[in-house]
Amino acid sequence: MRPDSETPFFFGADGGLFGMFHAPALPARRAMLMCPPLGQDLIRCHRVYRQLAQALAAQGVAVLRFDYHGTGDSAGASVEVDWDRCVADTVLAAAELRTRGGVDRVVAFGARLGGSIALAAAGQARFAEVIAWDPVLDGGDYVAALDAMQVALRQDGERFNAPRSHADVAAQWLGFDVGDGLRRQLAALRVDATEAPTLVLDSMPASSGARWERIVTARGRVATIAPPTPWNDLRRLEAAILSPPLIQAVTGRLKEIA
Amino acid sequence: MSEEAHRFGRGRHLVGIAGVPSGTRGETGVIVLNAGLVHRIGPFRLHVELTRQLNEAGYPTLRFDLSTLGDSTATGGGQTRAQQVCADLDDAMNLLTERAGCERFVLVGLCAGAQNAHIVAARDPRVSGAVFLDGYAYRTLGYKLRHYLPRIVDPARWARVLRRRAGGGSGEARAAAEPIFAVAPAPREEVIADFTGMVSRGMKLYLVYSGGISTHFNHARQFRECFGKVMTHPSVTTRYVHETDHTYILTGDRARLLDGIGGWLTRNFPLATAGRHA
Repeated sequence: MRPDSETPFFFGADGGLFGMFHAPALPARRAMLMCPPLGQDLIRCHRVYRQLAQALAAQGVAVLRFDYHGTGDSAGASVEVDWDRCVADTVLAAAELRTRGGVDRVVAFGARLGGSIALAAAGQARFAEVIAWDPVLDGGDYVAALDAMQVALRQDGERFNAPRSHADVAAQWLGFDVGDGLRRQLAALRVDATEAPTLVLDSMPASSGARWERIVTARGRVATIAPPTPWNDLRRLEAAILSPPLIQAVTGRLKEIA
Repeated sequence: MSEEAHRFGRGRHLVGIAGVPSGTRGETGVIVLNAGLVHRIGPFRLHVELTRQLNEAGYPTLRFDLSTLGDSTATGGGQTRAQQVCADLDDAMNLLTERAGCERFVLVGLCAGAQNAHIVAARDPRVSGAVFLDGYAYRTLGYKLRHYLPRIVDPARWARVLRRRAGGGSGEARAAAEPIFAVAPAPREEVIADFTGMVSRGMKLYLVYSGGISTHFNHARQFRECFGKVMTHPSVTTRYVHETDHTYILTGDRARLLDGIGGWLTRNFPLATAGRHA
């Protein structure tokens, strides 16, 4: 991999969105937009996103990784993260990828809320396909899980010498300020099927009871990835999510649809 | 003020984000190193918040990924890790010199980042200050007394130990937890000599240690116990924050840390162009 084949840059109307473009090793015939998850999942997934981007670029796929407003290296504070803005940023990023990659056919990939955002943006962004890794389909359940982890965090004896006050942990999810607007948006979130074929990569623990029928139409499918990914384990909150099987599944799919 | 994305370095192998406030050419530059394996945004975006707050105050900044971390790649060449870190920081300082005219620098590092900042601060004369967050620590006699004495005389703790033994223990749950304090030990005498050398050449040091490393450090007095009288030098500021965790997961703790760093920087490296930046 030549270092110059990966270009960091800012884009968007106010130049506030951070992107990392992975130029393909061969002339690109297709492109992939990698939509990150939100919150701590974004940090935990950084390495696996980069590994996947490099693997795809090596097989001739133009790839763009990027951060939404208020996340990662993009402009804005964490409390400013807004669902509609994330979807709009995704549409912008898809256009940027088409320009830089010189290809019109863009497949979207996203883990957890990144998959949900890719599905929500699929129509506007004209995605040829969405590959969603354990996407969040029902925001109410997701909000409840984060709230429960935040409650547990307050008295996590592995982290704090003594339990913290309720005020200390209020209006945050696992290290990030959360605005009322985003909380309401996620609580009301219900992701449905899109026109684009959808491949769901399922690595949720069996106990989660995840069901994907709602978003996987006749043109899509579900593939199981083992082992299960510990998304909601407070003890692994700061451990990177790594998954060679995920990389194999996505690169394999991109070869199929070449 | 907008930020700049850079690919830079002797092998164009490093990736970083520079923040250069307008009208501040020649100010002290602040460089933030990776905390462990977390990419340049820092734990819970700590480094983004820190660099932007310092940019607002008028300081040029760079948060970047060292070789092989985050989005940066390796250069090859068979260097030791310490040589590689020094070379990467040389590249980073050159970038801030080029972009903002900086001639002196403050390094900020958490955990392994503090260790890496220490390595460079001990060797590079351009480094004028350093902020070590949960850096080198040693279990002193004082640490052991503070740690073990209350436990020995606590009957509730003995009852818990006996219950655990009777029930087979909960080793599995403990084993699943990830180690979070990952500063490799260095000979204490070497570290003391480094600190002494740093202050004797005029460097300013700010050591902030958290309650999150209670396996190694548990009281403000331990700075002196670990590193001796150099900790009382006027160029050294220490702070122990018992209630916080190692990576400042709570936003209030993070805000207080950032305010502390900003205040220390303003006192020790006042802006030559005060009032001119946006």
